[in-house]
Amino acid sequence: MMDILLAAITALLILGGAGFALVAAIGLNRLPDLYTRMHAASKAGTVGSGLLLLAVGVHAGDLPTFARALAGFFFFVLTAPISAHLLAMAAHKVGYPLCAESVRDEMKDYDKRI
Amino acid sequence: MITYILSLVFAVVWVAVTGSATLHNLIFGFALSTLVLWIVRDEMGARGYWRRLGRILSLLALFLKELALSAWKVAVLVMSPRMDLKPGIFAFPLTVTRDFEITLLANLITLTPGTLSVDVSEDRKTLFVHAIDCSDIEATKRDIANGFERKIMEAFR
Amino acid sequence: MTTAETIISYAVWLALVVLCVSFLLTVWRVIKGPTLPDRVVALDMLTGIVIGFIALIAIRTGFTLYIDIAISLGLVGFLATVAFARFILSRGNREAPKGDMMKTFTASVPEPRRKSAARRPSGTGPAVRRKAKK
Repeated sequence: MMDILLAAITALLILGGAGFALVAAIGLNRLPDLYTRMHAASKAGTVGSGLLLLAVGVHAGDLPTFARALAGFFFFVLTAPISAHLLAMAAHKVGYPLCAESVRDEMKDYDKRI
Repeated sequence: MITYILSLVFAVVWVAVTGSATLHNLIFGFALSTLVLWIVRDEMGARGYWRRLGRILSLLALFLKELALSAWKVAVLVMSPRMDLKPGIFAFPLTVTRDFEITLLANLITLTPGTLSVDVSEDRKTLFVHAIDCSDIEATKRDIANGFERKIMEAFR
Repeated sequence: MTTAETIISYAVWLALVVLCVSFLLTVWRVIKGPTLPDRVVALDMLTGIVIGFIALIAIRTGFTLYIDIAISLGLVGFLATVAFARFILSRGNREAPKGDMMKTFTASVPEPRRKSAARRPSGTGPAVRRKAKK
C-alpha cells in the first residue's frame, strides 16, 4: 500500500513537472515580447524541472538521494530569477523594446539618463 | 553557542549530501562547517538568532507558496484562449537598503505572480519591475511592500 | 511488475512524450527568434527541459547519480545565461525592429539624439564602462 502511495506521489510530480514544462514552452511561443516570455520561462520552466528533480528524490526513497534532489531543486529555484533578471536588465538597457500592448515603461527615463 | 548548533546542522546536511553516513564523514563535515562559519564570523554577530531563524523559515515558506502560485498563474494565463495582457514596467520605491536585502527582494519579486524585477537604479532607491498585468499598479506595489519587504525587514534587521 | 512500477513507468512514458513536445516548441522559438535575447531565453528554457529529461532517465534506470549530472547541467546553463546577458550588454542592440517600438517611446526621444545613439558602435558604451569600474 505504502509503495503505491509513493508511486502515486512520484507520478503526480512527474506529470506536474512535465505539464509545467509544456506550459512554459507554449508560453514561450504565444506571448508577444521578450519580457513576457521571460515570465513563462523563469517561473513555469523552473518549477517544471524542479518538480521532476524532486520526483527522482521521492522515487529513490532514501535520505541522501532526496537531500541531493532537494539541494538541486533549491539551486534551480534560486538561480532562475537571477538569470532572468540579468537578461531582462541587459535587454532593456540595450534597448530591446517592449511589445505594442505595453501600457507603461517607467524605466525608460532612467535608461536615457545614463 | 548558536554557531556550534548551526555547524552541527551544516554537518548533518553535509552527511546527507555526500551520501555516506559514517562517523568520520560527520566529523569532517563538522570541521568543514566550523571553518566556513569562522570565515563569516563577522556577519554572524547579531543577537536573537533563533527568532530570526524562525522568521527566515517563514520567509522560505512564503517564497515556496508564491512560487507555486506564480507558476500556476502563468500556466492559466498561457492556456487561456484569449490572452488579455497589459504588460509594462513600473518603478517600485525601495525601503530596504542593503545590497543583500535588495537582491533577496528582487529574487522574491521575480517569483511572485506576474512580476519580474528588471533593474535597480544606481542610488539603490528604486527597483524596476516588469509586470504582466499593469492594470492596478498601486495594489501590486502595496502587496510587495506589505508582504515580502516587511518579511525581509523582520528577518534581517 | 507490481502496480507501483506500472504507475511510474506509464507516468514516465507520458512525461517523456510531453517533454519532447515542449522541447520541439522551445526549439521553434530558438529558430524563430526574432531577437538574440529571445533566443537566449529559449536556450535557458531548453536547459531546463534537458534537466527534466535527465531526471526522467534517472527514474527510469534507477541510477540516482544522474541527479548530480542534472545539477551540474543546471550550473552550466546558469553560467551560460549570465555570459549571454553580459554579451548582450556589451554588444548593444543591432537588430532593433523599427516599427515595433511603442509610439510614445520613440516620440519622447528627440530626433538627433536617437540617431547618435544608433550610431554608437557598442550601444551603451559609457554605461557598461561605468558598471565595470565598480
